Amino acid sequence: MKKFAIEYLSGVIASLQQKGKVFAPVKEKDGFYFREIADPGDATLDFYNTVMSPKHLFFPQTEDMIKYRINKEGADSAPVPINSGPQILFGVRPPDVRSFELMDLLFEEGGIIDPYWVDKRKNTIVIGYAFDSVDPLDFYNTFDIHAADPRGSDIFLVRKDRTVLARAFTGKGEALLDGLAGLENASAADEKAFEDAVKKGPGLKTRKLDLNGVAKKLEAIFDAPYWQKASMACLNCGVCTFVCPTCSCFDICDETLFRDGRRCRTWDSCMFTNFTLEASGHNPRTRAFQRFRQRINHKFSYYVSKFGVTSCVGCGRCSRYCPVNIDIFSVVEKAKEV
Amino acid sequence: MTDMKEIEKRLREEAKKLLESGRVSVVLAYGKGCDERHPMPFAAMKPEEADEIVFNEYCTPNLARYLTKYPAGTKMAVAVKGCDSRAVVVLLQEGKVNREDIVILGIPAAGMKEQKTGKDVDASLTCGLANPVLYDVLLGQEIKGAAAESPYGIISKLDAMSGDERWEFWKKELARCIRCYACRKACPMCYCDPCFIDQTKPQWGDKTPTFDGNLMYHLTRFYHLAGRCVDCGECTRACPVDIPLNLFHKYMARECEEMFGQKAGMDPSQKPAMVDFKVEDSDTWLE
Repeated sequence: MKKFAIEYLSGVIASLQQKGKVFAPVKEKDGFYFREIADPGDATLDFYNTVMSPKHLFFPQTEDMIKYRINKEGADSAPVPINSGPQILFGVRPPDVRSFELMDLLFEEGGIIDPYWVDKRKNTIVIGYAFDSVDPLDFYNTFDIHAADPRGSDIFLVRKDRTVLARAFTGKGEALLDGLAGLENASAADEKAFEDAVKKGPGLKTRKLDLNGVAKKLEAIFDAPYWQKASMACLNCGVCTFVCPTCSCFDICDETLFRDGRRCRTWDSCMFTNFTLEASGHNPRTRAFQRFRQRINHKFSYYVSKFGVTSCVGCGRCSRYCPVNIDIFSVVEKAKEV
Repeated sequence: MTDMKEIEKRLREEAKKLLESGRVSVVLAYGKGCDERHPMPFAAMKPEEADEIVFNEYCTPNLARYLTKYPAGTKMAVAVKGCDSRAVVVLLQEGKVNREDIVILGIPAAGMKEQKTGKDVDASLTCGLANPVLYDVLLGQEIKGAAAESPYGIISKLDAMSGDERWEFWKKELARCIRCYACRKACPMCYCDPCFIDQTKPQWGDKTPTFDGNLMYHLTRFYHLAGRCVDCGECTRACPVDIPLNLFHKYMARECEEMFGQKAGMDPSQKPAMVDFKVEDSDTWLE
């Protein structure tokens, strides 16, 4: 185990940069975002959680797949090589770390392999970071994730006053930590402090929902008038799906400027009317409540029947950034009583 | 100033009365969210639902947004604060709602707070009106006293910049857009269906959040709102990545006021500036 003083954070980031591209929380205006670090001084650990989830490190909002150039006969095209190179994702909160595993099910283990996701996942070292407070909108305890849950992280960080304790949990985490310049060796007391902090994680309580029977219940109430009522305030913007760490829907677009173009995939949202618009002109989900229901059911019912887990980690972002305060926790909680 | 609890009580009473008498079938107000700081827009449709209405300092959303979500001809009541009432006026002027179909429940509001930060709403970021400009019932004492500072004061910082600096400022801000469209969806004036940016034949702008597409989307939206934006600040409040969209809207509003002597949504008897022509209209833009 290693440790460093929080004042020395930029030094640690600088030595991480020797090992690959580093993505860490950066303060921008009112919020924090995972950004690729150019100046090590930009990275911070003084944040609660980022506005956007870190999923864009593996699944960027826009990703080029093919580049083409239109000529007289047709077009010359070439696939964009998939090769991200080593990268380090620094300071990820436990529910977000869990979200990567849920997305692996879809992009890697579900039968269809998404090479873009797999490449970046394989090349990335995830450094998790324990929470030391609770936002009232979070509910990750629902999914058996706790505030200092190191599962899924290659290296996990715990804050102890002005010191950051770092322990490796996987082979690649250990290799990185051992070879990192500028870190101090942790003492036996530090080891104990780390273990105590992890043990105390479950003591920080978030909201918690009993999900027993929810997946079946949602199927059963598909046609209930509940959905019109629950979605009454919904504006059908895409904030919830874009800040969500487990929303994975995308569209594939061709964008051409003069003769040069790209075929890229870009995030789409089930909240948008065009999401289900078919080439024939038919749209199976024209109503706002249908799209709203789809978002809840996909996460809490369809994903469960497909992969056996709920596609939500309780990070609270969709509730926190919803312009009209639709709270997915309350929506599911009330659906249970329908 | 009327206490918020008193406004809430009167809002419930009015809603119950209107729904019981059948004067309206929907009352657009605020309801309980997951906690006090997160109230939600709420549509009461039965008299007994009137008791679910809440009003507190966090009830910022502009409910005029929901008027155009119901089929034309629906009898509706809507609770409005200062800026919100201006949005209702624009919708009336533009023929999106009929005056006889709606009952306007006016709320004189001061001391509203931002949900995200818990801080007082910065009056310089909104239109600054405390009292609604149009209402059928006023649910509290009219707030007397000087109006807040000029709604355009806040853009003096941008005025002081050179053209290049201002371009840099907007380039940086708009590059951060994630195209979630919360701004247009929260905007009471954005009722187009489909919105130009969602059209695919032709496709006016790229779907990806690259700078060119973002610029296309935002500049077009800014121009579509010229002379129509009521400065409620909802677009900025809804933006998850804090882009100060309302600063641009304020620019447009100031231009409109300087050229045509008209502020959007202040007077239901007026024609909107962009659809009216007067011989004496300013033609400075030609020079």
